[in-house]
Amino acid sequence: MGPLIPQGIITGEWDFVIALLMGIFFGFILEASGFSSSRNITGVFYGYNFVVLRVFFTAVVVTMIGLLYFNYMGWINLDMLYILPTYLTPMIVGATVMGLGFVIGGFCPGTSYTGVAIGKLDAIVFTAGLFLGIFIFSESYPLIEGFYNSDAMGRITIGEFFGVSNEVVTFGFVLLALAAFWGTWLIEKRVRKTVTEYKFD
Amino acid sequence: MNKNYIYLTLLLIVLAGGLFLLPEKENHQHLDPEDLMWSIVQPTRYVSTDQVAKRIIEGDPTLELIDVRTIDEFEEFSLQGAINIPIDSIMVPEYQDYLGIEDMSAVFYSDDDIKADQAWVLAKRLGYDHIYVMKGGLNCWIRTIIKPERPASTAAESEFELYSFRRGASMYFTGAEIAIPDDESKQKVQVARKKKTVVAEGGC
Repeated sequence: MGPLIPQGIITGEWDFVIALLMGIFFGFILEASGFSSSRNITGVFYGYNFVVLRVFFTAVVVTMIGLLYFNYMGWINLDMLYILPTYLTPMIVGATVMGLGFVIGGFCPGTSYTGVAIGKLDAIVFTAGLFLGIFIFSESYPLIEGFYNSDAMGRITIGEFFGVSNEVVTFGFVLLALAAFWGTWLIEKRVRKTVTEYKFD
Repeated sequence: MNKNYIYLTLLLIVLAGGLFLLPEKENHQHLDPEDLMWSIVQPTRYVSTDQVAKRIIEGDPTLELIDVRTIDEFEEFSLQGAINIPIDSIMVPEYQDYLGIEDMSAVFYSDDDIKADQAWVLAKRLGYDHIYVMKGGLNCWIRTIIKPERPASTAAESEFELYSFRRGASMYFTGAEIAIPDDESKQKVQVARKKKTVVAEGGC
């Protein structure tokens, strides 16, 4: 059945409508997870709040497991999904720059908008800086174009690169996520004295 | 520690472990025989030699000519800008990179229609779009473009137009010289002298 757009079940004209709806939901989840506060976000670097790690790792493993089961049920065709091309070195450098901005500014691009939406001053300043950065990047693009396009590996997945199946990669990620959940829980309990457990009612 | 965390942990492990029990799933999209039939009977999957010649001359960047004959035959003669994918190598992944390039129309040709048609059906089954066959193949190319035949004098004007296009294309591809009529250059320039105007003289 899926993916819906590449198979023509939903036509490409709906792209922006779907993007808008998904953006609203994404912003809602970010805000509901407390990501509009830079204290929550940067807590992951100082060891007192690992909510970022938990939310995103949960999203990753749920999606990985879900996609594989959906593929088995024939609800989605994994081969038709868009895979972002990998440029190894530029991506490592870019991720480092992004991480530095993350720990210095206290937001990532998506969460800065949720911060702007609820009127946080630091988020507004961060977003202004974000646009300034985009402008500088765009203007200096001819200088870094060579590096930007270097080390192209094509549309490759972790499983393809290491020659293992998607199931093995998923299982590994689940174990990694669980280890991270339990490990960060222990760190958080030690660093933050007032930590509370979520009560399942 | 809340017991529910342990349940959730176990649930994730069970779900992820359950993936190993799933049978291998092949996602190949098999082309429905009826769909294949309808695309085979479409006349639009053919392009004529005239269209190909026109696009080569105009330098159309979206034209991708694919010669499906053997390497020897390809080296002996091929169309301008064509690439060679022998029909028995069409499954090779390196060759398939040449198919399915966005915005490119791949035109298969061989000596006649047969091999090109086979390549077309194979490529269609492999899931490629924007693929065409040059109608008549190279035999038709020679007959129409390289050595066009003069239409009968009673033929319609459009046939003469086509003929003159083919003559031009033939010159383009073979490098033949354009025969300039001799007498034209030797024609004497006729100087038309201004005649003296005779003003009617009237008597006073």
